[in-house]
Amino acid sequence: MRAVKWLLPLGALVALLLVVVACGGDEEGGTATPGATGTPKPGVSPTAEAQAPAAQQQIIVQSGQPEFYDPHRSNFEQDIAIARALWRGLYQLSVAADGGIVAVPAMAAAEPTVNGNVYTVKLKAGLKWSDGVPLTANDFVYGIQRECDAAVASPYQYVLGASILGIVGCDEYFTALGTTDAPLTPTDAELQALRDAIGVKAIDDTTLQVTLLAPKPTFTTIMSLWAAFPARKDVIEQFGDKWTDPGNIVTNGPFILTGLTAGAGGQVVLEPNPNWALEPKPALRKITIKFIDDTEAAFRAFQTGELDITNIPAPEIPTIQADATLSKEFLKVGAARIWSVEMQMKNEVIAKPLVRLALSRAIDRATLVKVVYNDSFLPATYWLVQGLPGFQGNAAFEDTVGYDPTAAKKALSDAGYPNGEGFPTLTLTTLDRPDRKAEAEFLQKNWKDILGITINIQTVDAKTRSSTFNTENFELFPGGWQNDYPDPENSLIGLFDTDGGNNHYNCSDPDIDAKLAAAGKETDNAARIKLLQEAETLIVTKLCGAIPIYQNAFLYLVNSKMAGLKPNGQIDAAMPGNWCPECWYVKAQ
Amino acid sequence: MGPGPAGPHTWVEVMTAYAIRRVLWLIPVLWAVATITFFLMHAVPGGPFTQDRSLPESIITALNRRYNLDEPLWKQYLHYLWNILHGDLGLSFRGDRDVSVLIRDGFFVTAQLGILAFLVASFFGLALGVLSALNQNGPLDYVGVFVATVGAALPNFILATFLIVIFAINLGWFQILGWGGPEHVGDLWNVSAWNVKKLVLPVVSLSFLPMAYIARVTRASMLEVLRQDYIRTAQAKGLAEQVVIMRHAVKNAMIPVLTLMGPIAAVLVTGSFIVENIYSIPGVGRQFVEAVQRRDYAMIMGTTLFYAAIVAVANLVVDLLYAVVDPRVRYG
Repeated sequence: MRAVKWLLPLGALVALLLVVVACGGDEEGGTATPGATGTPKPGVSPTAEAQAPAAQQQIIVQSGQPEFYDPHRSNFEQDIAIARALWRGLYQLSVAADGGIVAVPAMAAAEPTVNGNVYTVKLKAGLKWSDGVPLTANDFVYGIQRECDAAVASPYQYVLGASILGIVGCDEYFTALGTTDAPLTPTDAELQALRDAIGVKAIDDTTLQVTLLAPKPTFTTIMSLWAAFPARKDVIEQFGDKWTDPGNIVTNGPFILTGLTAGAGGQVVLEPNPNWALEPKPALRKITIKFIDDTEAAFRAFQTGELDITNIPAPEIPTIQADATLSKEFLKVGAARIWSVEMQMKNEVIAKPLVRLALSRAIDRATLVKVVYNDSFLPATYWLVQGLPGFQGNAAFEDTVGYDPTAAKKALSDAGYPNGEGFPTLTLTTLDRPDRKAEAEFLQKNWKDILGITINIQTVDAKTRSSTFNTENFELFPGGWQNDYPDPENSLIGLFDTDGGNNHYNCSDPDIDAKLAAAGKETDNAARIKLLQEAETLIVTKLCGAIPIYQNAFLYLVNSKMAGLKPNGQIDAAMPGNWCPECWYVKAQ
Repeated sequence: MGPGPAGPHTWVEVMTAYAIRRVLWLIPVLWAVATITFFLMHAVPGGPFTQDRSLPESIITALNRRYNLDEPLWKQYLHYLWNILHGDLGLSFRGDRDVSVLIRDGFFVTAQLGILAFLVASFFGLALGVLSALNQNGPLDYVGVFVATVGAALPNFILATFLIVIFAINLGWFQILGWGGPEHVGDLWNVSAWNVKKLVLPVVSLSFLPMAYIARVTRASMLEVLRQDYIRTAQAKGLAEQVVIMRHAVKNAMIPVLTLMGPIAAVLVTGSFIVENIYSIPGVGRQFVEAVQRRDYAMIMGTTLFYAAIVAVANLVVDLLYAVVDPRVRYG
């Protein structure tokens, strides 16, 4: 047959291709590791399992794509995750024996000495940067001045500014050039004067002095954040915007950046810093972080063995739990993130307290979490998340605002809309993603079945959604808050005070304002936490701008060869146990 | 001989003039694309610094000032045009990286993926089409038509998912994370930069649809050509079967297939967005989509202009090739 003559060469070609593939190259060959000078002692805690030999201490981890490797420009959690492996601040957030979060001295030798508004911190002796240059107090001065510099434009400057920690002069320097509508033109001398006026000074090489507007119990916590990391003035001046490239970058944390492929699908390579001052010394010889924003793709790559640690999407949980191997590698970590239905209080219907109560009591949170998120989150009627100091939990609020169809119907009826009659159609704006759409549909059905009201769902992309929120152009808006640092003030101040920067739902209540203002001024920690709890109680019972529905969890798959991870949702970013990457190691097989 | 119209031009002169006219047309076309894109992207809600956790006014002011976004829109537009004329496509908001460098690096990878997919699609599509035509209504024909129909109907992300689950996750034959070729031009001849295990699935995922089109058109075209008189003449002359097929039938059957190359190029370009996303391949398709999602203005402009230029050049090449292959075609 004529056709058969062609089959032979065609078939041969295909067979050749298969042979090449099957016998093809090895796993992605690593490039030769540039020898780190000296061999740091790997740290293993007494009860840990034996470590695999050094050649196997290499892992591949997934994270979203970072924007910047400069800690004073870090914005999203993947940027912060890498910054924390590369640098450490005066203090670092750590998990205490009782599971609570404490800020322990890192580069600092001890707790600060406090004299009114002035905090004096002594550095440990013999600290060095990764290139061997001594780490001095001046490096912290430069780092903090950088954070307050408008030319750097750090998205976290406000953490050192008057609204949170309140370092003297930080805001004044940051706003020295005015606004777009009212620009200012200070001379170079004036700018330098403003910079010098920032309340941070090096008394000597190992003594740092920070002056605040008022004493703050959260000093050591804020000094643990990336906003206050030290920086090398000579390196930055020499290399400019390229100072974070491998070969130029100088760090003081457990790892250094030795490889970088920018762009989508790119990766970074971290290797141990031979001059890392603290314990433990990293056991891992190489961490490759691959940038994959799509967690579905990351999940598949974990299954083929191309990733060792990854975030996974909630819809894959049933598949994971049904698989013998994957179910043992699944890790769920309660996150410092609360999710809610935010409501525009300027809307005349939503402004009615009984309407909000009806909406809240008609939400079957437990079933929502089960059906939409496969039970991976915690149904919540609270705002301060579990793990935070001051956590009150469902016990405090379930009976007042929790699921109760009868009470919901009654509340709506008392508000003047029996069985939903006369209730206008409200719009719920959510992200165009399968899980969020499913969540919206669940809420829509709950409210329809129990209250008889109609809700329209509007799905938009991420930027449009954020813009809708910031311009206050919404009625109902599933949204929430993830803590920048593990303190209840971060969950409330700025979110529920009138004119608060994030208060786009326009919660405005004089009692809440009073509690939050008092908490901001209180220097006794226990009293401060109590004031914040009282504020939370007011916010939740009045449903002022938000109806809490669940506390999030981080969902990961971790290869069973990994050990040493100490995941904690209060302080992790992008990866499990990210607050201590020097603790991770590969087990002996 | 007095003044009058010039004499007949050579074929090369006509084609060159035509090509030059087409290239010159690129300038107003790209300008229009740039203008429409620029104003559209600023009209869309949300900007590069819009995020859930609202940034204080002072920070937004500082960021806008850093990137010259605080100027009036018309001024930004003129600045942008001025910079483009000097070859400066600006910086991406993500990492302050040079847009032209990012596009160059991304395109290097996308081009590899596209070229490989094109070669695979052409080879298997032509082979399948020719074999089907030669074996008309026989078993090979049914297999060929079946494969072609499935390939045309199945969206490539569904195909990709099946391929990944069966061949990578279950059988473990292939890898699915990243690109299996070199990421820098310098590594092109470096054997260790090639990982065939990573190449196969993305290339197959992208090539299936074009392969299906090519197979169908080739089959139809071959059947048509085989019925022609000149084929019967060649056979009557006693030429060997293979010579008849290769020299006469296939070559003439390919002419209509060339008309497909424009749409094929378009399919490869748009299909690459999806394939690059599924396999985390650092190509320019994915850069384009992400830039829009992140409102990365310079990147959006750069990738849009890049694609406009690519599409225009691809269409020109196809039109020129058409004239080369079919002597009956004349321009100008």
